[in-house]
Amino acid sequence: MKVLNWTRRFSRRGFLSGGAATVAAVVATGGTMLEEAQAVPVNGSQSAQTERARTLVKFARDLFPHDRLDDSFYARAIVPLQEEAAKNPSTRRLLYSGIDQLNRLAVAAAGKPYADVADETTRVAIIKKIETGAFFKKVYDDAIVGLYDQPEVWSKFGYEGPSSAKGGYLHRGFSDINWLPKS
Amino acid sequence: MPPKFDLNDSSVVVVIGSGAGGGTLANELAQKGISSVVLEAGKRLEISDFKNDEDAMFGLFTWFDPRTTSGSWYVAKTSPDLPAWTCKLVGGTTVHWGACALRMKEYEFKPLTRYGTISGANLLDWPIDLHEMEPYYDRAELKMGVTGTHGIPRLPASNHGKVLFAGAKKIGYSQFETTNMAINPVPRDGRASCQQTGFCVQGCTFGAKWSTLYTEIPKAEATGKSEIRPESQVLHIEHDASGKVTGVVYSDSKGAVQRQKARIVAVAANSIESPRLLLNSSSSKFPQGLANSSGQVGKNYMRHMTSTVFAIFDKPVHMYRGTAQSGIVMDEARLDTKRGFVGGYQMELLPQGLPSFAQNIVPGAWGRDRASIVDNYSNIAGVWLVGEDLPRDTNRITLHPSRKDKFGLPIPNVHVDDHPNDLAMQKHAIGQADALYKSIGAKRTVHRQPFPSTHNMGTNRMSEKPRDGVVNRYGQTHDIPNLFVSDGSQFTSSSGENPTLTIVALAIRQAEFIADQMSKRAV
Repeated sequence: MKVLNWTRRFSRRGFLSGGAATVAAVVATGGTMLEEAQAVPVNGSQSAQTERARTLVKFARDLFPHDRLDDSFYARAIVPLQEEAAKNPSTRRLLYSGIDQLNRLAVAAAGKPYADVADETTRVAIIKKIETGAFFKKVYDDAIVGLYDQPEVWSKFGYEGPSSAKGGYLHRGFSDINWLPKS
Repeated sequence: MPPKFDLNDSSVVVVIGSGAGGGTLANELAQKGISSVVLEAGKRLEISDFKNDEDAMFGLFTWFDPRTTSGSWYVAKTSPDLPAWTCKLVGGTTVHWGACALRMKEYEFKPLTRYGTISGANLLDWPIDLHEMEPYYDRAELKMGVTGTHGIPRLPASNHGKVLFAGAKKIGYSQFETTNMAINPVPRDGRASCQQTGFCVQGCTFGAKWSTLYTEIPKAEATGKSEIRPESQVLHIEHDASGKVTGVVYSDSKGAVQRQKARIVAVAANSIESPRLLLNSSSSKFPQGLANSSGQVGKNYMRHMTSTVFAIFDKPVHMYRGTAQSGIVMDEARLDTKRGFVGGYQMELLPQGLPSFAQNIVPGAWGRDRASIVDNYSNIAGVWLVGEDLPRDTNRITLHPSRKDKFGLPIPNVHVDDHPNDLAMQKHAIGQADALYKSIGAKRTVHRQPFPSTHNMGTNRMSEKPRDGVVNRYGQTHDIPNLFVSDGSQFTSSSGENPTLTIVALAIRQAEFIADQMSKRAV
């Protein structure tokens, strides 16, 4: 049984209001980890960083696979995680080692890195091997908030969101259902 | 102008908490010319601070002080550090509540008599009955502007409500309608009418929903008889050698410790903090805590049997549009032990926005199946099942043996083991909700286990005999005549109804009693 971090939910979403520029930068560079920009010592080259981000995006998609969402939404979803990793060495170690483990399992199973494994069933089987670990929990808890808190994601699911500034839903379809059985 | 009372003014009633109980009590007393100081732990926000944003408001107004949990209940597993979702701001949980304003039923005041002794439960009859409460329910409904009562029209049905009603009709239910709600269908009492905004539980941005924040509190202040002090968290209640309470010690908005003297103290801090405060106020005279000669303070914690059933249709519902709880099916809110349990339950709409829904629909789940539920978000309807849970000695608030809050006081632990009756009712309710939605074409239903509890009751319960409970029929503690309890912790049983209307009715009644006792110099 997983524990829901109710008390931490709201605290992980500051990027939505404050980090729009960072998000745009991450998406534009194909998901480069933020560490470079912030000059935090990291292990490996820029290409290694980009590769890690690519793996995380794929992993986040596999946790919450919505075909209607392109990768940019998953890239945004992991921005808070990357920001934390840039600041916090223990989070960075957790992410790096988790990504390495995903790739080791992928090489063993399919002979290629996780993000290059085309078969979803194979990737799901890999995730099942790590789903009780700290890396899984960290990415899950952060990405589920980061993904579904994006207003651009809301509209993809038909959720119209805040209504107060538009006068509520009183004149915008709160009672327009037309398919129920006639009584 | 709101008055300023001196810390040494020992003529005031100190009210601890400004929600449905405390906010109402302060205004009722003020209207009778009785002075009060309301100490509220949270900040004072205004309607303009509210946002149509689930996570932002959750962060802004939730009571996050540290708590622990134990027991076999689901919430202890999924939300161990947040057993209850109640609020910390002026207005308390009336800013967050869904405004469903239902009267308790006749049999629900007398559970011991009507249900008989039940193993593992600590049933007791209320010392009051529905007949005695009716005039106070009337006054509460008029005060709050409850739809469907006293000539106040009902709100129109939303898409979400129409789905519920169609299913209810299909499976043979007959008691369904847009709920009695403390939300203005038309402008009333200086407040706007409902615009079907949909974010009722994030704080009504139009002020159409009754909350003490912008009704009782400013009305009390306008009399010049009530001072509200926000960010003032009470740490102890003090007493004299005779055992009467003399005032309270609190941490003010600057973090300084203050002592406010009082003629009467009324505790209305919700059903976790109220018993915690009494227990944390122990002294050499009252080593088990204030008003606890019965040993019942903190016991019999109730939070309602709940579960939520979401149904996936193949056509749009848009459950988030419109008044959140504006639909109810009441057919199962009755005493009929042929169903395999005592007590009854209500079926109430409870929509969620996409963020809350997607983040919590199946805690911990991942992959295609979970995603497919979220993919259907706009085609989903949901009903919250809320019913009577039974009081148990062992379901209780206790002081944590080692963990302390920022004031150095023991934090509360909330222990709950579901009673078999609660689980039998839950199973029945889920089955009925499944049948209701499937009868009109739901492709699939998803059962959501309980969220952190917003209905919290029973930890300072009302009893005829002092040995059975903490307070008498007026919420006056059996042990200390000038110490009152004014919130849902007074409840002797939880009933199948949302607690707020009853809390408000009890506060109106308690204010009458306090005024009478003061005039007789009995307190």
